[in-house]
Amino acid sequence: MEGFAEYMHYGTIAVTVAANALAVGIGQGITSHGALEAMDLQPSARDEITRASILGMALMETAALMGTFIAFLLLLQTNSTAQNSTLAGFAELGIVFAVGLSGFVLGIVSAFPARAACLAIARQPFFSRQIVRFMLIALSLLQTPIIFGLIVALIIRGQAGSIETVRDSLRLIASGVCIGIGSIGPAIGLAFFTKSACDGMGVNRSSYRQLFSFALISQAIIETPILFALIVSVSLLFVVPAFGAENLVDGIMFLAAGLCTGIGTIGPGISSGKTATEASKQIAYNPETYSALSRVSMFAQGLIETSAIYAVLISFLLLFLR
Amino acid sequence: MSGIGIEETEQWLIGPFFSSNHPFFSINKHTVIYTWITIGILAAILLVGRYLLSKKDSMARFTTIYVVRLFVGMVDQALSTFSFNHFVFITALFSFVFACNLVSIIPWMEEPTTDLNTTLALGIISFLYTQVAAIGEGGLWKYIKGYFSPFFLMMPINVVGKLATVVSISFRLFGNIFGGSIISSIYFTAIRGNFTFEFIGLASGFNLLLAGFFVIFEGFLQAFVFAMLSLTYLSLATQSEGD
Repeated sequence: MEGFAEYMHYGTIAVTVAANALAVGIGQGITSHGALEAMDLQPSARDEITRASILGMALMETAALMGTFIAFLLLLQTNSTAQNSTLAGFAELGIVFAVGLSGFVLGIVSAFPARAACLAIARQPFFSRQIVRFMLIALSLLQTPIIFGLIVALIIRGQAGSIETVRDSLRLIASGVCIGIGSIGPAIGLAFFTKSACDGMGVNRSSYRQLFSFALISQAIIETPILFALIVSVSLLFVVPAFGAENLVDGIMFLAAGLCTGIGTIGPGISSGKTATEASKQIAYNPETYSALSRVSMFAQGLIETSAIYAVLISFLLLFLR
Repeated sequence: MSGIGIEETEQWLIGPFFSSNHPFFSINKHTVIYTWITIGILAAILLVGRYLLSKKDSMARFTTIYVVRLFVGMVDQALSTFSFNHFVFITALFSFVFACNLVSIIPWMEEPTTDLNTTLALGIISFLYTQVAAIGEGGLWKYIKGYFSPFFLMMPINVVGKLATVVSISFRLFGNIFGGSIISSIYFTAIRGNFTFEFIGLASGFNLLLAGFFVIFEGFLQAFVFAMLSLTYLSLATQSEGD
């Protein structure tokens, strides 16, 4: 197994950067396509559409930037040889999940709001300033999963050098898997909700005030499952007491706990996003119904998120009641 | 946290009073000091604003009133009936969180909100205020009955859902501010001491862009989200389903 750790290390770097760059590339293609379509619809709004698409693409680059950032940190670390470098190499798989997977999903899905904003400007050219402002705020709230993934990845990188057992290696992988898979569902939900809010502004610009506050609150509520995944990830990294002997069953339990919350947040994230999407469509058509619709939507989202909480409870039982 | 380039915060042990050295009985020194400095800065700004109100027909008076009007409009829209108590609470919450997020633009200071204790305390305050307001609005009996709606089997779901709001609201603020502060601190540690990188960062405006995005923009956004979510939970709790 000579050189295996190096393969894992450099493989981690390559996969992380490649996944993020690929996704951001696809996403920017979708955005540019949308911008060109919008210019085709409304050639006189060319400048506004160009500005909106460039700002949107700049914010979408966050995922690629984070991937490059973690790759640089890992490359700088290469020279310091750890004691059990094979285990450390395995543990770095967690970084692939934490940054690579969430960045991959996020890079693709954040193209849709930017595309929708371009098309909305084509429909409402004199309203472009408000649409661009809304798109900027919504897209930066959309980048939350990659920031959380980066936090987890940095802590994994810090701990990877000093682990001694397969159990700890599995623990770090589980932590990355939890935040990585856990951010897929909420990211998709968030993106589709933001897309429909941008569409709504194109449909009816007098609904701007209502849609703006509804979008901020709803985005915050939709991303709650990611926070649960973050809590489980961080408790996998810190809270779990590291006791003595090597025990593979413990490691598999950690992996199970991470997968439990990771998979458990996919459904709530997507369906919570769908609820808010429908509500925002109706608000765009009929802004007077804002207070009733937003209340029903938030109540439903609260109920939907309970299933994510059950997944978190099972994870905590796996972690602490062994 | 030594692994991620952040040194362990110094702690004041208050163990002697409890005859224990458990970390639970200790206080994060930096958090307490920076929180008090933040409160001092906020108090100074508010005193200046109060003084400016006494100046007739001035730009400063207009600005002060304009800022207050913004908050009034925000509370008014969300609650649909204006309540002075709720307005004061939400405004205080927003200004404190915003000042806490912004305080790291002063050299040698870091945000108190990068400590989970601060954000959890803020979340618990918001939660308790909401519950007390809900009891004051509809009476204790109606409040308890709310847990058993739509039917009694929903009680555990309602309780878990209420408690989850505290966790989610405080972890959202903590995670975002902590992530931003880690990213900018790693970047500034990496370029420190290297003249070329520092010059490129300064000249191209990348330093300013990074600080502007992660400290000012993200800080404002998260403070706004925190206040808006508290306001939403408040309006959900105090207004009945019927109207």
